[in-house]
Parts: sequence; structure tokens; C-alpha cells
Amino acid sequence: MNRRELLKMVAAATGGVVIGGEFFLTGCSNPDAAATGAAFSTDNIAFLDEVAETIIPKTTTAGAKEAEVGKFMTVMVNDCYGEADQKTFKEGMKKLDDACNKMHGHSFMKADATHRKELLISLDKEAREYMKNKNQEDPNHYFQMMKQLTLLGYFTSKPGLEQNFNYKQVPGKYDGAVPYKKGDKLFV
Amino acid sequence: MADTNTYDAIVVGSGISGGWAAMELCKAGLKTIVLERGRNVEHIKDYPTANLAPWQLLHRNRMTKKMKDDQHIQVRGFCNESNSHFFVNDKEHPYVQKKPYDWIRGYHVGGRSLMWGRQCYRWSDLDFEANAKDGHGVDWPIRYKDIDPWYSYVERFVGISGSIEGLPQLPDGDFLPPMQLNALEQHVSDSIKQKFSDGRRMIIGRVANLTKGWNGRGPCQYRNLCDRGCPFSGYFSSNSATLPAAAATGNLKVRPHSIGMEIIYDKEKRKAKGVRIIDELTKEVIEYYAKIIFLNASTLGSTAILLNSKSDVFPNGMGNASDQLGRNLMDHHYHVGAGGAYDGLSDKVIFGRRPNGIYVARFRNIDKKTNRSDYLRGFGYQGGASRSVNWNVEGIGTDLKEKMNGPGEWGFWLGSWGEQLPHPDNRVTLSATEKDKWGLPQLEIDCEWKENEIAMRKDMMNSAAEMLESGGLKNIYTFNDEKAYPGLCIHEMGTARMGNDPKTSVLNKWNQLHEVKNVFNTDGACMTSSACQNPSVTYMALTARAADYAVRELKKGNL
Repeated sequence: MNRRELLKMVAAATGGVVIGGEFFLTGCSNPDAAATGAAFSTDNIAFLDEVAETIIPKTTTAGAKEAEVGKFMTVMVNDCYGEADQKTFKEGMKKLDDACNKMHGHSFMKADATHRKELLISLDKEAREYMKNKNQEDPNHYFQMMKQLTLLGYFTSKPGLEQNFNYKQVPGKYDGAVPYKKGDKLFV
Repeated sequence: MADTNTYDAIVVGSGISGGWAAMELCKAGLKTIVLERGRNVEHIKDYPTANLAPWQLLHRNRMTKKMKDDQHIQVRGFCNESNSHFFVNDKEHPYVQKKPYDWIRGYHVGGRSLMWGRQCYRWSDLDFEANAKDGHGVDWPIRYKDIDPWYSYVERFVGISGSIEGLPQLPDGDFLPPMQLNALEQHVSDSIKQKFSDGRRMIIGRVANLTKGWNGRGPCQYRNLCDRGCPFSGYFSSNSATLPAAAATGNLKVRPHSIGMEIIYDKEKRKAKGVRIIDELTKEVIEYYAKIIFLNASTLGSTAILLNSKSDVFPNGMGNASDQLGRNLMDHHYHVGAGGAYDGLSDKVIFGRRPNGIYVARFRNIDKKTNRSDYLRGFGYQGGASRSVNWNVEGIGTDLKEKMNGPGEWGFWLGSWGEQLPHPDNRVTLSATEKDKWGLPQLEIDCEWKENEIAMRKDMMNSAAEMLESGGLKNIYTFNDEKAYPGLCIHEMGTARMGNDPKTSVLNKWNQLHEVKNVFNTDGACMTSSACQNPSVTYMALTARAADYAVRELKKGNL
């Protein structure tokens, strides 16, 4: 999977353009936002790990937490997001917690897996609707960012690639017509 | 002092053509110094990212804000986290854009031969006769028969994989076994052959990746990480091939950090006697002397040095009596084409990352039957089909994860590369006011797509959609990126064109300056027209041919 395909995948799975994608893909310069890294605490990273794990849970293969997606999100937000998106993302962590309190009467970290999933399904729908209808100058939706970074981070991680796919660093050959049946591990 | 700085030959630049000049001159027994403006890059040892897995790149190969700030022009090309060390820092290497121009550069030993696209297509007489036939630019001083044996000569050394097709506008060469079209590409290729009566063909790309071991290099491992440098020597670069062969003769000296300032002229002998450089790190100015000089500092780099080589004999730059030096800058125009998705072949997937795609040779304006009234010359296509993982999914949790592990549908992307007509107003000059940090005048670039290119783009886009349609693709989209400025294709050519007449050209048919016979230029600057094929293999063939001539002339005492 090349970079363009991965971004397309992430965009489609989250129903819109990749936030920061203009940086990731074409690399438009944004000098104003340079070097304004927002700091994240270890609590923040633990929180983001749980959000990511809810999006991509551990099954027979590793989940997002094992792939250290929480930490990856903070690196990308700090180093690659513009200032406005950084602010939206940081405020979004609190908004997500508030939404959990409202829906379940307790914080996200205290919620069980079922409650967490229920919350994120509703936020996923909310983000998708919002992103579809928003004006260009309106801020992005924080959950859009979290989901996109989760998918990007997980599907480029060692466990994410090695456990879900037939990942080969050095393929050694090319075959453009390999027979495939459902359940086969895909080469990436 | 003078002794240690004296060689038989000087080559300025170590990129794809400089590497060839160095190898040919060294093999002929000439003590040769290569002056490279950037740092040394030793094959394999200096490829720090070559073996990194996706998760070993901190930003998973995305550019950070800082990189995008420092390399704000380079990132418009294909610069990313894993190869950014091979692209210049734009803040350190400024130039003046009179009109938007993306100058993508690599300043180090090997130059852009490390990151090049590796597509290699011979030109034909359709290209070498184009200027003479429609009156744009001057006539090429050579024809296909002059360069044909030199194409073979370089192909046999480089190792280029490709298929034999018998297309007159895209001559076959001495190829290694071709790579394979994938299932969808084969299907579309068959459809095109069947449904278009104008002879157009979709073939596998001809690429300087080794499909078998070759001259001690390769074979290619199908990682498709070429632009990081290849630890398997699976593709051709100066670093992997020509410079090691030159070094093996014992005649090569490479001096990194040597920024070419000007060529030193001996008024009495009416010859160049050497090259003056400034050390990139110490800023010391040093002179090197030789009997012949090969200028291979890249299209714009070589022209900048000639423009800066001013004296009372050459008040407007060396070899510029014609006022053609700096003019007729060309690139290929691209970022135009179409894509689509395919329903079938659901029982087929791909293994391996082929560092190559398809090619559609030019099929417009090649004979009476294919003549267009809306534009001159033509274009080709590159691209290919792929099947990625299933990304068309929504939701959260286990469902999402499991769906994303399966294959998605097949897709096809077809991009077009078009010829740019030579135009005297598309030019570079030296800035009268702006200097770089070594005190050298900055280049001012004034170049734009003109009517013919803009008219051609409509057909480039629509024909792409038409071919995909013929192959049964669905949800076809088209694109025509108006912000793909000249330079972005990194096929810059012209500014010191070859020609028969010293009044209208800078170089003769042997790539010698008309006015200074021991100075040769064989990089992209020498090109008289741009054709629509990727140009590097033509630079290599012209370099080998010119080096052979230079050595013969030197032996005869003519230089």
C-alpha cells in the first residue's frame, strides 16, 4: 500500500478529506504554524490509547493500544498539524470526555468497552455529518482527526501490518495476478 | 600548487550525466576530477533510510511542518520523510521566480540519479526532426542514426528492463527482461489494442531497475523504495554504477563541497583552461585546470555557470554570442489525466511492489492520419493499476477492523506527460541584485506553459478517460492541475541548445560550445526540443558519444 492509497483509504473510512492531509500529501507550507508544538501529558496519551483501542480493538490481532497509536497521535498533532487543528484536537479530548459524561454519567476512562463503543459510534456519525455540511473555514471535527490518526497509525505500525496482512519488507518478486479467496491474508 | 590542481579532464557535477562523463573519460585513461557542489554520498553506506520499515519513520513518511517550511518548494514534488535528506533546503538555495517555477534539486554526490523516476525511453526521428518540420526552435544537429548506437551502449551498461514492441516512435533497445503487467493492466492493454485503430499501445514501462543481476548489481527486490537509495543496487544511479566503475580505473578523483563558479578562459589559446570553484564549507576559492571540461551541473546549474563565466571576450557569459544561453527552457507538463475503478478481477490480487508502471507511447501527430488541428506534437502516458486494501468502510470497532483487512476494488490511474515547445521567452538569467550565501548571483527563472501546452492538456485528459472507458472502468474521474508549474516534472531541458548554426545555438553536434571547443555540455541544458519521453537516457547517450569524441579529438591534438 503506498502513501496515496493509504490516505485515500483513511479519507474514505472517515468520510472526508484527511486532516493535515494537505501537509502529509502535497506538503503545502504552513510556516505560521511551525514550531508551536502543544505538549501532551502521559494521561493524555493513555486517554488517546483507549480512544484508539475502541476504534481498532484487540481481536485475534493486536489492537491500536498495542500499536502505540496514542503516542503516534500526539507526535503527528505536534509536528504535522497546523495551529487551528492542534487547538481543535486538544479541546476535543475534553469534549469527548464531556460527551461520555452526558451519555453515560461517567468519564471515558471509567467507561467499559460497551459504553465506549456506543459513544464513539455516535461521535463518528456526528463527525461525519459535521464534516459533510461544514463551511470550509469552519474548524474540523476532533473525532474526525482521532479516527484518521488511529487508522493511519495502526495500519503503518509493526503489529498492524505484520498481524493483519502478509507484510513483506523485501518481497523479492512481483506477481500482478495472484489468485485470491476470502480469508487469505493480503500482501501489503 | 598548480600541479596538484591539474588534471586531464574536469567534470562539473556528479549526477546522471556527470557520472557517465567521469566513467567514460576515466576508462579512456584520462586523469579526471569530478567537482560536486554538495556533500559526499557513498553507495549503500550513506542511505540511512533504505532499510527502514514504515513504523520506523517517526511520522510514518509524512512531512512535518518544519520540513515543509525548510523545503517548501521540494515538497511540491515527491519529497517525504524518508528521502528529504536527498533534496535541498530551499532556504539555503534560493532563486527568483519571475513566474512560478518549481526547481527540485539534490545537491550531493550522485545528484538526482539517486531519486530519479528511472523511466528510460529512446527518442526517434519524430522528435529529432520536430523543430525543423514545424519551425519551433532550431533544427537538431543530429538524427536518430547518430545516437542509436550510443543508446545501445548505455542501455547495455545501465540495465533497462522493457519489452520489444516495434513502435517506430518509441524505438526498441537492448533491454533486460520486461516486468509484468498486472491483471487489470493486461485487460486494459488488450482492450486498447482492440478498440483503437490509431495503433496506440499500452506497454510495461521501460525502467532502469534490474530484472536480473547485471554488471555485479541487483536484481531488483520489488520494494519500491528506490528514492531512498538501494542497498541491493537494484536500480541505476551514479553512486551504484558509473562512479564506482570510474574509480576502479584509478583515474578518478571526486571533490565534494565544490560549487562551480565559472570556467576560466585563456584568451590567447582561445580555450578554457580550468574551473574556479568555491568550497561550500570554507568558502575558499580554488582553481582546477584541465585540457577538457565537461559541464554536467544539471540544466540550470550548467547554464548558471556559463552565464557567470564573463570576461571581455564573453561579456554576456561564455559561449553566448548567439544570445541563446538561458533561453528555451522546457519541462514536461503533467498532472493531467484520469482514473477509475474496476468491478471485475475480484479473485486476483497483487504480490510485490513493482517500481514501475505502464507506458502509452505517443499516438498524436505521428502521421497524417493522427494529425491534430488544435496543437502541435504530443504526449505519452504513465500510470498503472493497483488493488489496495478495502478502504470503503465506515464504523467503529471489530467490524471496521475486519473489513479493512480485506481487498478493495481495483483502480487505475493514468497520467500524461506532454511535450513543451521551445520558446525564447521561457528563459533564465542571472539576478543583478540577489546573491546566494556564497556570493554567487541567484538565477531568475521566467517560464510558463503557453498556448500549445494548454491546448494539448484537454486532449491529454480526455484521451486518458477514453482509454479507461474502453477497458470497462467505472466512476472515471479526470484531472488537470493548473498549479503544476514548469519545473515540477523535474525534466528541465534547454537553455544551452545544440544546433548547426553558431548564430542561433550554443552547442554544436558534438555538445561542444561553438565558441570554446574544449568545453562540453551534455546534461539537460543541451536539449534542442523536449519530446514527451523521459529524457535521462538521452542525456546518458549524448554524454557517452561526446566523451568518445572528446577523447579522439584530444588524441589528435585538436583540443
